[in-house]
Amino acid sequence: MKQNKHRFINLNSKLIALLLFILFSNCSRNSEATRFTSEIKFRQYYVQGQLLYEQHCSNCHQKDGSGLGLLYPPLNHSDYMDQNFEKVICMMKYGIKGELVINGKSYNKEMPGVLSLSDLEVTEIATYIYNTWSHQKDSIDISGITRILNQCSQQ
Amino acid sequence: MNKTKSFSRYAVVCSLLVILFSACTKPEKTLPIFGERNIEGSDTIYHTIAPYSFVDQDSSVITNATFKDKIYVADFFFTSCRTICPIMKTQMLRVYEAKLSDPEVLLLSHSIDPEYDTVGLLHDFAGRLGVKSEKWHFVTGNKEDIYKIAQTSYFATAMEDKSEPDGFIHSGAFLLIDKNQRIRGKYDGTKDDDVNRLLNDIERLKKEYEAK
Repeated sequence: MKQNKHRFINLNSKLIALLLFILFSNCSRNSEATRFTSEIKFRQYYVQGQLLYEQHCSNCHQKDGSGLGLLYPPLNHSDYMDQNFEKVICMMKYGIKGELVINGKSYNKEMPGVLSLSDLEVTEIATYIYNTWSHQKDSIDISGITRILNQCSQQ
Repeated sequence: MNKTKSFSRYAVVCSLLVILFSACTKPEKTLPIFGERNIEGSDTIYHTIAPYSFVDQDSSVITNATFKDKIYVADFFFTSCRTICPIMKTQMLRVYEAKLSDPEVLLLSHSIDPEYDTVGLLHDFAGRLGVKSEKWHFVTGNKEDIYKIAQTSYFATAMEDKSEPDGFIHSGAFLLIDKNQRIRGKYDGTKDDDVNRLLNDIERLKKEYEAK
């Protein structure tokens, strides 16, 4: 009887261990899967972003993001970009006028916006410019971009 | 017998030397001269840049005389252009930097939107680009005159077209003009390789004048 009880406990603990194992392995596989999809998403945004950057932005800001003189500000190293994420998102679509001080230098040429850009396209460009050159912002979420864009269009 | 053998050997060495020398001294081909030409008596009259008068970023009057005894590179652009002009200006800046200390070479950029691109605006533009006025003239003037000289003197396309994103059609060409106001080369001002060729041709053109 005593031995039987022992066996039962033994079986029980084995079962629990197995259950725990299944649970854990499932869990970790799940989080890995999420990480995997988010990484694919990031890469898709990045690749599309680069194409869009070269189509809409690099004529002035240059492919290497170095800008041109005091006409077109650099993006590769830019304290302004680091400190004004939301403004940068807005100006891609709606443009900007007036003086901007970037890395201590004054720029004052109107930048026309690209009104045709969708929220997704702005997210893609942002993913590209904020993860290239000196920037490492990681993945940028489209819902956050939509929220920012809705606010700037209200201005 | 021996004599003929040594003679033929001598002949072979000689002809080899001749071939070698002719290969060495083969003159570099001169650059082509663009446009129509007319023969008047014993002279050939080449196409040259017609007389013009524009105003640059310092309000100085710029005419053909400004480029007397100078080689210059000309192009057409406008400051508010977002398409090819910024690339052209990046490339022209390369030419500027390469020839900055060469007094024989000047640059001339014509605005094809002269009503918007006033002297003040061009002054600001050149200043922001960080270039010297005496080396690189940005000119504005009568719109019709600029379009006409673009098309009939420089063979470059420049016209207004409201259906274009920026409102103008124009070529991205850089034109190499010699000291006799003749066109000696045409390059795509948006392409690195073509601008390298231009830099090389400027040196070839200079040699042509040195040889005279």
